Amino acid sequence: MNASMNAGQLAKAIASGSVSATEAVIACISHIQSSDKSVNAFTTYTFDRALEEARSVDALRIRGAQLPALAGVPFAVKNLFDVRGHVTLAGSKVNRTNAPATDDAVLVTQMRRAGAILVGMLNMDEYAYGFTTENTHYGPTRNPHKLSCTAGGSSGGSGAAVAAAQVPIALASDTNGSIRVPASFCGVWGLKPTFGRLSRRGSYPFVHSIDHLGPLANSVESLALAYDALQTPDPLDPVCHALRVQPVGVEHGKGTKGLRVARLTGYFEEFATPSAIQAATTAAAALNTTATAIWPDAALARSAAFITTASEGGRLHLADLRTKVQDFEPLSVDRFIAGALQPAAWYLRAQQFRRIYCERVQALFQDWDVLIAPATPLSAPALGAQWLDINGKQYPCRPSIGLLSQPISYSGCPVITAPLWPGGTGAMPIGVQLITAPWREDLAFRAAQVLQESGVAHLQPATL
Amino acid sequence: VAQTSLNDTDVLNYVKAASALLDLPLDAARIESVAMQLGRTLEMARQLETVDIAPDVEASEIFCPAPFPAHDDERGTA
Repeated sequence: MNASMNAGQLAKAIASGSVSATEAVIACISHIQSSDKSVNAFTTYTFDRALEEARSVDALRIRGAQLPALAGVPFAVKNLFDVRGHVTLAGSKVNRTNAPATDDAVLVTQMRRAGAILVGMLNMDEYAYGFTTENTHYGPTRNPHKLSCTAGGSSGGSGAAVAAAQVPIALASDTNGSIRVPASFCGVWGLKPTFGRLSRRGSYPFVHSIDHLGPLANSVESLALAYDALQTPDPLDPVCHALRVQPVGVEHGKGTKGLRVARLTGYFEEFATPSAIQAATTAAAALNTTATAIWPDAALARSAAFITTASEGGRLHLADLRTKVQDFEPLSVDRFIAGALQPAAWYLRAQQFRRIYCERVQALFQDWDVLIAPATPLSAPALGAQWLDINGKQYPCRPSIGLLSQPISYSGCPVITAPLWPGGTGAMPIGVQLITAPWREDLAFRAAQVLQESGVAHLQPATL
Repeated sequence: VAQTSLNDTDVLNYVKAASALLDLPLDAARIESVAMQLGRTLEMARQLETVDIAPDVEASEIFCPAPFPAHDDERGTA
């Protein structure tokens, strides 16, 4: 089994019998065991369960049964997803004493129904409050393309596991950029769907009013297969607004005809290094456009997202902050406390602003189908970096990595992050956001497919 | 929007008072580091105060007691 095969290719090989699911899972386990010593993407392995499920897939095939779309394909999940029999850590020490989950999260169940095989849980910033996966309790996740650099966060384990070819698909969450930042820094594909598209039931929350779940993957095909498998209406999740499945499938050769595409300038250039701007302009050229557009109120939206995040996140953990503050991640505990102390007026102002902001964003999509912007201001910084240099100005590293992702998620719009490899980064990737109107993930997939087919967006093997 | 002349001491005092109100014990070092974080957020809150938002603009999160009925015949008779 070649771990860099896309999920569809691997599923086809398993369905044809040219490789068994058990062989695929054993190869996957072996690669994880050899590579994770340097990457530290995983916090928990579920190898026994994986082998048992692989044997079930093989038994189905031998009986001549029709195999589901992802039968035998290994995947892993950020450790804020419930996995039956395991404690949902959410990157924390505090949660270790919680009872194990009695069932899988809805999205884990959906992947299992599609035949995918869970091989483990992945590292993250504590309670998802961070962009670097520098986790004091479980160690930092290292970027597979340069081990001294961050893999991004908060879903750093998910980005690194795909980049290191440990799994073709990983599930993660994104509140302010936690799928898009690791996708950008690790050079993999990522999808933050429309807010309310996928069920969040059985995942550990961070910010109820902004949390999204979604996949990262090694190709557009893998991303589409995962996304289609994850979709299901969920009347038990009050935030799952999608009432039916809208599969995107894998469409080749549709090109950009009829697609109105523009690159975002203004704020999205002001807070982007030349390499990040180059990544976005390269993507724009491949999508056949020189048009530009201005995203409304980006700086204000980032401030509102920051305030909303701090307030909801801080309040969520207030009880533990009172009694177990010493067990929290030192890198984020002060932000949690400050958030808990924020005046209610700040929070309500932000939520009121969010309504008029979303109306302005949706108006922009009357003129455009796909908008392009860098996912991060720059390529992956070194682990431990305190400051970022963006166009000659210094910014505090950990909160500023999300400058270009936060305004977008606050609008709830879907985004695919495409992996590009611009110059001036020391051969490190920078992701490009393909942003569409709410519920139009299909258009983002169409643009992503063009970028992949043109060769400008792709994975590169990590030399571990 | 007129800015108050809030200084570092004012933010420190706010952190002390608000944390006491929430029964959240903080030592002196923690009060300082939390005040630094809150000071950063204060600047963002001030940006939002400059936005002209009409009083009737609803917050984006609205409580919904139950899903709206799909059909009028589910309403029953008053």
